[in-house]
Amino acid sequence: MLRDFVFMSLLVLIILALTYLTYSGGLGDLPPQDIRTIAKNYLNLTYNQEVSWLWTASPEAVAAIVWDYRGLDTLFETVVFYGAILAALTLFRSIAKAPEFVSSTGLSLIVKRVTAIVTLAILTVAASTALHGHLTPGGGFQGGAIASVAPLLLLVVFGKQFFIGRKITYSKMLSVRNISLTLLGFTSVALLVLGFLIGVEGYIFQNQAKTVSNLSYPTHFLDVPLGGSLIFFNLFEFLAVASGFTLVFTILLSRDDTLRRELEGEERGY
Amino acid sequence: MRNVDIELIKFMFMLTVISLYFNIAISLYGVVAKANLVKKLIALTIFQDTVNMFTILVGYKLWRPGLLLQPPVLTDLSPTSETLREFVERSVDPLPQAFVLTAIVIGLAVTLFLTTIVLHVSYHFKTVNVDEIGRSKRVYIHEEAV
Repeated sequence: MLRDFVFMSLLVLIILALTYLTYSGGLGDLPPQDIRTIAKNYLNLTYNQEVSWLWTASPEAVAAIVWDYRGLDTLFETVVFYGAILAALTLFRSIAKAPEFVSSTGLSLIVKRVTAIVTLAILTVAASTALHGHLTPGGGFQGGAIASVAPLLLLVVFGKQFFIGRKITYSKMLSVRNISLTLLGFTSVALLVLGFLIGVEGYIFQNQAKTVSNLSYPTHFLDVPLGGSLIFFNLFEFLAVASGFTLVFTILLSRDDTLRRELEGEERGY
Repeated sequence: MRNVDIELIKFMFMLTVISLYFNIAISLYGVVAKANLVKKLIALTIFQDTVNMFTILVGYKLWRPGLLLQPPVLTDLSPTSETLREFVERSVDPLPQAFVLTAIVIGLAVTLFLTTIVLHVSYHFKTVNVDEIGRSKRVYIHEEAV
């Protein structure tokens, strides 16, 4: 009881202190009168063809920052993301591979039909979000997260049998994820490797030509802007995120006794 | 714009920031003080979302009449220097948005990971209450020692 009281008072104290600091200008003007200089530079350069050694060929400043200006940051964040997914998969590794025979036929016909239509819409929105990520708000992460809702819905409404019947197996999803990740890595070093092969300068995460390196990804396909490497990053990230989340959802929605079986034969659990 | 309006906007903005502080405090309380692991997890997701919201808010800027705030996306594919100047004028800060974008997905992955751990724990101990888990662990250790 006393512990709770002390804890509550501490929290109130923290709120009051933060409020005082904010009110007395700790965060600067709120809301800021103008954006920071670094933000102005990003916005000014992202699609500025006159400064072609600093542009990213993408009119979407956020995607440009994520995959070009601060690409290495995103690479490490992606590593954290896949580390967490991998850890979740490792905890239930044997369930995923074990064949599961489920006789469930899913929910009613009405729910199934509605879900079928909604799933199509979800996948369309997801693909559009991911593939237009370099032009409009969105990108591979968001597209993948949207797309992973579709298999989750299908698992609940149609039952796991639906996936098994269509040969959408754990190992296939894992392969999609691994191939996408490899291609993601390859996209980040492609120009470096190309430069090495033809004997010119190239950099990791290089998108467009720099002052010392004239290699660049294509900016347009016919008349469609590609945003250089951004479309490839978005595409592979989309596939990797969608398949990674699908894997975890498949495991989390396994039958109770299958999950329990995983823990049999182990020690007492501490 | 009248001074009163600007003062009002600033006041409302400050109110939002302070309410986010409240949210952070309440979710921290949930993470530390609640014994139920699922409740801890829910509090943690609230904490994540609050911090993301706060980050986005810091990238916002004061609205003035005639200023159309828009996402940092250029709508003109062959921009002149004039269009670019207007674009910079109207856009909000893209940097916090880029940070939050990855933070959300990583947050989701971490939440999934924690969910699988909680699932494991609940199968092992038949409960998700950390106090009870602690008690039963003490009993196990005592039994083994005997």
